[in-house]
Amino acid sequence: MMGRRSDLPLSRDPSVRLVPWIIGLMTYLACLMLAGSLLLSELLGQWSSGLGGTVTVQVLPREREQAKVLDARVEKLVRILERTDGITGARAIPLEEVAALLEPWLGGATAIEALPLPRLIDVQLDMTDPPQMEELKVMLSNADPGALLDDHGVWQDQLADLVGALELVAGFIVLLVGLATVGIVIFATRSGMAAHHDVIEVLHLIGAEDGYVARQFQNLALTQGLRGGIIGIAMGGATIWGLSYAADNIDSAILPQVRLLAWHWVVLAALPAVTALIAKSTAKRTVTRSLKRMV
Amino acid sequence: MRYGTGPEVLREVTFSLRPGSFHFLTGRSGAGKSSLLKLMYLAHRPSRGLVTLFDEDIATLPRKRLPFLRRRIGVVFQEFRLLNHLSAFDNVALPLRVAGVKESTIRKHVDELLAWTGLGEHIEARPPTLSGGQQQRVAIARALISRPDLLLADEPTGNVDDALGVRLLYLFEELNRMGTTVVIATHSENLVSRFKKPILHLEDGVLIHQNRVGASSGTADPRDPRKPFGRGKKQ
Repeated sequence: MMGRRSDLPLSRDPSVRLVPWIIGLMTYLACLMLAGSLLLSELLGQWSSGLGGTVTVQVLPREREQAKVLDARVEKLVRILERTDGITGARAIPLEEVAALLEPWLGGATAIEALPLPRLIDVQLDMTDPPQMEELKVMLSNADPGALLDDHGVWQDQLADLVGALELVAGFIVLLVGLATVGIVIFATRSGMAAHHDVIEVLHLIGAEDGYVARQFQNLALTQGLRGGIIGIAMGGATIWGLSYAADNIDSAILPQVRLLAWHWVVLAALPAVTALIAKSTAKRTVTRSLKRMV
Repeated sequence: MRYGTGPEVLREVTFSLRPGSFHFLTGRSGAGKSSLLKLMYLAHRPSRGLVTLFDEDIATLPRKRLPFLRRRIGVVFQEFRLLNHLSAFDNVALPLRVAGVKESTIRKHVDELLAWTGLGEHIEARPPTLSGGQQQRVAIARALISRPDLLLADEPTGNVDDALGVRLLYLFEELNRMGTTVVIATHSENLVSRFKKPILHLEDGVLIHQNRVGASSGTADPRDPRKPFGRGKKQ
């Protein structure tokens, strides 16, 4: 109604300078937690989509088995799998690819070739009509007792449970940070009301409605929340950028390559607005509730 | 009326004010003058009895309707209660701003009133830089700006010299002639005897009638059983 005019000297209060920084710190923590949660979701999504339509068959080498014999066993299993309903393709993974996967842990290809490594068959499933895993296991074990089917199910479930738990923890921390922000705003608003009780009483007695007084506090809280939110998101963005930069310099085989997507940044960029709105509505409720104690 | 669980500070107070009347409210310190004014400017509700203001029962009126009633009352507080961080202009404009009046209208009315009260040169001055008399006039201008139906003043001449006190009373009298009901709480026997207006006299929270009525200033009858304080109508 009266724009940003303030009849209360709230901008001179010592807390006015401090509150945006505290809100900024809270927003920073919320930003990191939210970013972490979004990254975990993205990571789980990548793993799930990458593994969802595939199973892996391991062909274990027998004692002192020659490579040619092992290759023949693998070829035989590939042919069987390609003829099986519900399977769109099967590909024997060359030993060089297996060696490349293990290189960060075991060293150069020469050493790997000396090891009795199992051979792997990457099997693509027809997700519209996938085969029964138990039947596939029996069929493979009948064809070759040394063939093991890994449908990644157990690993994927455990991973999903872990990511779910981490997301829950992150969500809980974001909630705590939100509650702490609400607490800070309530405390600052009550301090302001106590410091300016005389002015509020005069406004009250000359006919100001509760909303008029509340607007003065909520306008300040909105500004402080926005300022704090921008501080927090700036610090959070810088931290995420720094971590991404550091992660880029780590070997991609050790760490999964996952980045925040555009819509993730939009969610994070909305944090200052959310913080400002939380601060505004908290201040309004605090003032309105306190004023109701006056006649 | 009582504060919290303390003793009753006002009792056996029964009177009605005729619209357009002018009264002095007298009594020693602690007699209950300020408490009676607080009831009248709606800073408190009665703990028992009935207060009727502008045809509304104050004891039962919903809280959200009180601001609209308060806007019909102008109050000059004993210690002025000006907002020191605001200019004289903004202090006077405050009742209009809380009522949602347009800024262009506010500018016009406040400038006029401040000029009328002799403060045209001090529009942007903050209260601490003004003399006691100037602050008093800002407080009075704030009470008058919304052209109230009822003006209540608590010791309005307490901080000014006798000459200025008399001038302020003439100002209130002029306002009264324009139709505003005026009640002035004062210790000053000099002013009371000079202006010869009806008196509401309080002693230990009890209203004692002193019928010193001026020519056309209306009446107050605290012993009128038909219009008790609580059943009668103040304005």
